[in-house]
Amino acid sequence: MTTPLLDITGDVCPMTFVKVKMGLQRVLPLGTLIVRLKEEALKNVISSLKTEGHRVTNVSREGTIFLLEVEKTTGATK
Amino acid sequence: MNEADYKELKKGGMMRQVEVGLFSVRLHVVGGRLSTPQLRAIREAADRFGRGEIHLTSRQGVEIPHVPQDALAALKELLAPSGVGVGVCGPTVRTVTACQGCRVCPSGVIDSPELACAVDRELYGKPVPHKFKVGISGCVNNCMKAEENDAGIKGWIEPRWEGSACAFCGICQAVCPTKAISTSGDGKALTIDETLCIGCGDCIASCPTGSMREKIRGYRVFAGGKFGRRPSLGRRILGVLQTKEEVMAAIVAVLGFFREHGKPRERFGDTLQRTGFPALETFVKERTGLQ
Repeated sequence: MTTPLLDITGDVCPMTFVKVKMGLQRVLPLGTLIVRLKEEALKNVISSLKTEGHRVTNVSREGTIFLLEVEKTTGATK
Repeated sequence: MNEADYKELKKGGMMRQVEVGLFSVRLHVVGGRLSTPQLRAIREAADRFGRGEIHLTSRQGVEIPHVPQDALAALKELLAPSGVGVGVCGPTVRTVTACQGCRVCPSGVIDSPELACAVDRELYGKPVPHKFKVGISGCVNNCMKAEENDAGIKGWIEPRWEGSACAFCGICQAVCPTKAISTSGDGKALTIDETLCIGCGDCIASCPTGSMREKIRGYRVFAGGKFGRRPSLGRRILGVLQTKEEVMAAIVAVLGFFREHGKPRERFGDTLQRTGFPALETFVKERTGLQ
């Protein structure tokens, strides 16, 4: 099964995190979601993910676009 | 009434209006915070002695305009039980402004209202060569415009890099608004340029591995700012301070410098133009032992 990819490069805060949250709803605990985002969304998205207990396990970049591999927390119910 | 009497009234927060015999009465407000009983007392005073009007000043102050001279004493008496005193004007330490701070604002780093009360208790109304304003921002978003004040304070997060878990993903460098973080020549270490860092903590909030950490969650002091006819911005002095007590010591020392070197009717920023900022820093460091 391929890892789901969520592209939020066209979104701005707070829709960036709303979409990540919705994307993670479709992932099982400890499953991975890849999020494609712009530099300016990094801080809010990552800090919100950390607050909710998710982990960013890998980061790669394509110029100013970042790809985050997000591992869903086991504690998440939704 | 002669000019000397007017001057005395002004020092006590009673400002002469254009209309002869009327005064705008400045009240003592700290950090823009008033309780509802205090607001009721102010309303009552404005209704009874003014024209039912209240003026909100640009620095979180409250004034009751249109008060006749012969009602000033009665107005003070009416307000006193609620704990609202009259303010100050003239060459004194003025209203201490503050945001809501870390107890209310999610961005808050320091308890700005608490610090404002401490500064107010120690310094409010004290005589200085020219008016001296203190403003306290709970974080570097700087809602209280620290650099516009003779002494400004900002909540500040100083980061440190802990290399063991760092994946060198580049996120901290991408989010840093001042590009203060750089990779060393061999690519195996990150360095933070303290002179560029603005203490926002974005690198810490966005680091996926926890390699960017808080070194100090504290205070930054700025000195010599003002607005008015010839605005100039305050500049940071000292390193990041860790406690409220250190900040108090720094501000008291800054005022000490102003008292020693300021000329009458000279704003602090202009004093510093004459003496240079290094003279202030040396003085404050010697007085406080802070670095």
